[in-house]
Amino acid sequence: MRRIFISRGHIIGYAAFALAILVVPLFIDDPYLLNKLARYLIFGILAAALALSWGYTGILNLGQAVSFGLGSYCMAMTLKLHTIPIQTGAAGLPDFMVWNNVKSLPWFWEPFHSTAFAVVAGVAFPVVVALLLGWFVFRARVTGVYVSIITLAMLVVVNLVIVDQQRFTGGFNGLTDLADLKLFGIDFDPYSGATYYLIALSLLATLMIGEFVVRSKTGLIMQAIRDDETRVRYFGYDVARYQIFAFCVSAGLSGFAGMLYAMVMAFASPTFLSVQISLSIVIWCAVGGRESLIGSALGAILVTGIQGGLSETPAFLNTWMLIMGALFVAVVLFLPKGLISIVQLGMARLAGKKISALAEDEAPLPRGHKLGIG
Amino acid sequence: MTDLANQIITGLSIASILLLVSLGLAIIYGVMGVINLAHGDFLMLGAYAVWLMESALGLGFLPCLVMVFFIVGAIGWLVERTLIRHLYGRPLDTILATWGIGIILQQAIRLSAGAQLRYVKMPDYLVNPLHLLGLDISAYRLLIFSVTIVLVAVTYILIFHTSFGIRLRAVMQNAEIARCFGINNARIYSLTFAYGAGLAGLAGALVSPLKSVSPDMGTKYVVDAFLVVVSGGVQSLFGTVASAGIIGELSGGFAYFWNDTLARALLFFLVVVLIRFRPQGIFAMPLRRG
Repeated sequence: MRRIFISRGHIIGYAAFALAILVVPLFIDDPYLLNKLARYLIFGILAAALALSWGYTGILNLGQAVSFGLGSYCMAMTLKLHTIPIQTGAAGLPDFMVWNNVKSLPWFWEPFHSTAFAVVAGVAFPVVVALLLGWFVFRARVTGVYVSIITLAMLVVVNLVIVDQQRFTGGFNGLTDLADLKLFGIDFDPYSGATYYLIALSLLATLMIGEFVVRSKTGLIMQAIRDDETRVRYFGYDVARYQIFAFCVSAGLSGFAGMLYAMVMAFASPTFLSVQISLSIVIWCAVGGRESLIGSALGAILVTGIQGGLSETPAFLNTWMLIMGALFVAVVLFLPKGLISIVQLGMARLAGKKISALAEDEAPLPRGHKLGIG
Repeated sequence: MTDLANQIITGLSIASILLLVSLGLAIIYGVMGVINLAHGDFLMLGAYAVWLMESALGLGFLPCLVMVFFIVGAIGWLVERTLIRHLYGRPLDTILATWGIGIILQQAIRLSAGAQLRYVKMPDYLVNPLHLLGLDISAYRLLIFSVTIVLVAVTYILIFHTSFGIRLRAVMQNAEIARCFGINNARIYSLTFAYGAGLAGLAGALVSPLKSVSPDMGTKYVVDAFLVVVSGGVQSLFGTVASAGIIGELSGGFAYFWNDTLARALLFFLVVVLIRFRPQGIFAMPLRRG
């Protein structure tokens, strides 16, 4: 496999980032704050996953929250089955099922007695869903905006189904009162350093996997598809296969992020699969820099960090969402490669190179519409 | 037999609302290549405009409908002039920008009108059902149905029998050559966007007495409209009409056996399977946009 040369700036950037997120807990006593930071890092994973499919392959997935939500439900199901018996009905039946007159554990809940199964399912299930959707969509050579609206439609549909199937999913309330995850003899209390480190390492692993993928030959082809799909097809590549691959990797990483999120929040609810979350992921990516994995992750941490730092009251969140909408539109209009492009430009200036990161953003000439109504 | 007839009428009523919502979406996409994710929020604005005019100004429902079309159309025009215009040629970015606009509109309403549900009163003369062909048909649904037919007819005439329509089709077929012939593309685009937005607003106004009015009411409608646009093929007016009809009837039928949610899920599944075999939509010409 041929690797693209990794610049020194890049390595320094990653090292500084890794150091920063690993050292932070040493200076924090407040478990609540640590829990909050852990959540921001999970959003970082999500944003990096979207960058992989959107920034690198040109697949704008507006339904990223589907993978995230499915992952979180997988984790929440196993944790629910491990809660102390007070919160379960007879024979360990989860409380909401008792309230909904479900007599015995549904068959698809059974395997979740095993934590190992749940951990695998949390990644595998979103991947399978992405694989199926990807097969139908990309094999049909559907691209661009169509993919975006199909993924968005899927998000809304899955969300509605989960709310609707209250007997098996807990409906609006979701799955609450979850146990802590216990793996390899470690109790991952949501407010503990152990959980924080698990998440920080997961984020670093995500970025490494992502960098590995985008720098491989496959990654090169993915980027070529983003730039001109037809040309790649004329070179004889199976475009759909690479698109499905990127779509699935992104879904798997998001599912993993979902599992971590269910652990940290100690619940899973349909809000994890909301349009709002999906929109937020896209905003983080756009603000940070969709064509940079670490840029997207930083975008997520920055945006959610500012949001959490200011306030978390509902009234504020509504105003905040308004500001985010405006910021989003502004970034799309004026800074298509996100904040990271300013950093890259600065570094290039320092290095005395004449490369302008921004100059590449000239919009391609508008294509004439070739078809008419009727 | 009456059961079946009632079922068909319910389906038609769903279909006509669906068509009203999809028509604007399809026209904007067909002419400009822009998927307008703020479409659902224009619909929501329409519903709120009716609510405001009815409760604060005491206007009648039918005059409201006409006003709403122009109010929401004007907002659409403004959005196109200030934002969308800078993004032609970057289709994915137009999705993002319109999404951002949608959020701004939604939050602006949430902060000004409040997040609670609002209700629009159905005009008294439309409450009672009519007896037609031995069936009881809701007068209000009949109104929706007729407004839809009128709007489709107006749109058809606008596109195929006016000089504006000729210019519009020219821009759709080849924007650059159209410009060489002295057509003002920018004007066509902003008018089209305004027209599409106005249609969405009108759709919102029409559904407002049926359902409660809330800041996020648009999402559900616009998702169904996506399914119509994807399965119908955007290049043809006929495709949009026919696929709204089919999807409306199917979702009415599925909902009869299960419920609304499962009906929507099943429809989504069917549409995804469909595009695998006919990615250009059921009714589109065998050509694809480049």
